[in-house]
Amino acid sequence: MADALMLRPDRELIREVTQNSGGELKKCFQCATCSSVCSLSTEARPFPRQQVLKAQWGMTDQLIGDPSIWLCHDCGDCTARCPRGARPSAVMDAIRMATIRRLAFPRFMGNMVGRQENGAIMFVLSALILLAIAILPAIRSEVRPLVFAQMFPKDRLEPLFFAVSAYVVLALTIGALRFVKALRASGADGPILPALVPVLIEIIRHRRFASCGAGHVRRWGHLLVLSGFLGLALMGTTVGIGSLLGLMDTPIPTLNPLKIFANLCALLLVIGVSLLFWNRITNPEKRAGSSYCDWYFLALVGSVGLTGFLSEMLRLAQNPDWMFSVYYIHLSLVLTLFLCTPYSKFVHFLYRTLAMAATWRENQSPGQALVGARGSEITSA
Amino acid sequence: MVNLDTGNEEGDAILVVGGGIAGVTSAIEAAEAGCQVVLVEKSAYLGGHVAAFHRYFPKLCPPPCGLEIDFRRLQNNPRITVYTLAEVESLNGSPGNYEAVIRIMPRYVTAACTLCGECERVCPVEIPDAFNCGITKTKAIHLPHRMAFPAQYMIDDDACSNDCSLCADTCRYLAIDLKQKETKKTLRVASVVFATGWAPYDAAKIDNLGFGTCANVVTNVMLERMAAPDGPTAGRIVRPSDGKAPRAVAFVQCAGSRDRNHLPYCSGVCCTASLKQAGYIHSQYPEAKISMFYIDLRTPGHLEDFASKAIAANGIELIKGKVGKVQEQPVSRDLLVTAEDVLGGRKIAREYDIVVLAVGIVPQSAGLPGCVALDEFGFASTNGGPGVLAAGCVKRPAEVAVSIRDATGAALKAMQSVAGRANHG
Repeated sequence: MADALMLRPDRELIREVTQNSGGELKKCFQCATCSSVCSLSTEARPFPRQQVLKAQWGMTDQLIGDPSIWLCHDCGDCTARCPRGARPSAVMDAIRMATIRRLAFPRFMGNMVGRQENGAIMFVLSALILLAIAILPAIRSEVRPLVFAQMFPKDRLEPLFFAVSAYVVLALTIGALRFVKALRASGADGPILPALVPVLIEIIRHRRFASCGAGHVRRWGHLLVLSGFLGLALMGTTVGIGSLLGLMDTPIPTLNPLKIFANLCALLLVIGVSLLFWNRITNPEKRAGSSYCDWYFLALVGSVGLTGFLSEMLRLAQNPDWMFSVYYIHLSLVLTLFLCTPYSKFVHFLYRTLAMAATWRENQSPGQALVGARGSEITSA
Repeated sequence: MVNLDTGNEEGDAILVVGGGIAGVTSAIEAAEAGCQVVLVEKSAYLGGHVAAFHRYFPKLCPPPCGLEIDFRRLQNNPRITVYTLAEVESLNGSPGNYEAVIRIMPRYVTAACTLCGECERVCPVEIPDAFNCGITKTKAIHLPHRMAFPAQYMIDDDACSNDCSLCADTCRYLAIDLKQKETKKTLRVASVVFATGWAPYDAAKIDNLGFGTCANVVTNVMLERMAAPDGPTAGRIVRPSDGKAPRAVAFVQCAGSRDRNHLPYCSGVCCTASLKQAGYIHSQYPEAKISMFYIDLRTPGHLEDFASKAIAANGIELIKGKVGKVQEQPVSRDLLVTAEDVLGGRKIAREYDIVVLAVGIVPQSAGLPGCVALDEFGFASTNGGPGVLAAGCVKRPAEVAVSIRDATGAALKAMQSVAGRANHG
């Protein structure tokens, strides 16, 4: 018994996971149906039963670096089959949220963004920052055509967003370093960098979503949101750098290929978010297991897309009464999304990718590795 | 003092509903204590599920043996009237004074039947043999099973085409009367024992465990028939798909049990039953690999001892972890069983020749009168006052021995009602 384990139950984690997973955490009686029906869990990493147990016992340290938390793609197969109604997929989701909070840099930001009662703070903060750099008389500007730069001059807006981006990258980097350290401590020791290429290909193909039993709505919804978002991020960065260097001028004409591409991406984003909303609302188990963090992120991404469209329409209509205020809201939402990136559900893009990479080697032939001989003895690992 | 022997006139009888092991026990015990008893059974024979079992646990003796003793006691007792193919249509009254209307479906075969089997030979209608869980076929006119009591053929009304009379034309004993009609009888009884028993949970509803889609997935109830010498395979346990001897057999415990999507409760007997059935496999195929996937091995009380002996004697590998997936391999029709080995901390997938689903007990309480309260799962949770009693598996999931004790207790309670009437009358 040299390896005796000292348990210090993290009651905050138990409370947090219980609350964010729909309140049924204690119902789990460890039958392991969930791990068995899961199409993503593997021989060496069966989940989510073990993770549900660790959450019940408040074993935060064992959960933070557990890659299985992120290997789960939240399809809900386990929840549908759970004989106890313990909602294992929602528990996994709640553990992910708790992990994000605990990996956050700086930590108080993680606690602030992750709490429902603080939901509006980041938006108000973003709105105040933008208000501080805005030129308000622009709203009554007589100069035609009306452009957003009359209210938010490029030389103020762009430094702000580049500064915020730098902060976000710093926070993400520190979060990633903390996470990799935790991954290594938990025994997920696969090489990360070489695995990134196959992992990214797998992510683009959305293969793991496809193997889940939850249907195509989620797979397509997520794929559309991801591609729309990547396209918009690429365009935003290109135009930002381009105009900063004086190579481009905004607004870009509507029929410019870049603008057409951006509008297409925004359309994909909005359709994708609608599909994901639909999926959460129509599936009763999914709805019950959806936490504040799920709705917050989905609503934020969706409203960024919608207000962006609306701003563009109002600008094209040259509507002086509404275009500036809607654009102001749009910019505030974009800034909120930026600031929340390392602390909201958004950061799953980073942690899940890292977890998939760190376990890539061990999953090379899932399924085949599982099959033992006819009724063979289990060889203990 | 009450002299029960004088309480034999009409109105002092006990009505027992259900002719399984519990109902038969109540009837015999009350009759041997001197009461008039009417025993009403829905099917064409007495003995219920027990008649279909290969072995009892924990003694592992064959049920037909005990049933034969019961049937002899029943036959020798002039106080018992048995109606098979009969159901209670209505029940009214108060303790000591009930009026029950029973509906008796035609059997079309009279007591003159000698079991010669000529009728079955000429009958053109083939149907699944319900007694063998549909594994084999029988005819519309058939003997319910080899040991059936009463030992009389019967015609399955739903299956018979009704426009041929080959059986009646063939029967040289004139034992077939195709003109029989449904009849009704009104009985005045002092008390009623409902021993309507149980049915196995419908395994086809558990769509992830392959029953009905994978040929070699069977239920525990089917395995009892396969192991019985008078069963569909003459007692040899073989793969349904190709009749081959199994090299590896998996028992899947809690198939639909302790599951809010199916039966939320534990039936309490399936773990011991599977350990018993592992013994059937082991005795036929000593080399066969036997695995048992379980959530918790529940063998309460004295059965703990039976369990540890059975595990050791039959070389059973116990795997803690409920099976979530059973898939059939396309050509071999072998079964791929996926589970998490909880104690080993690994997920495993193994091939088996036969998978046995340990399905639970569903109470048959639909026909019980309103005065008997049912619990959330449909089991009779109270008696319906002093004169209406429940006994056996309709009350709670139970092994045979427990059902018999419960039925004996119910007989005593029923007799008290009779005595009460005599006291007050």
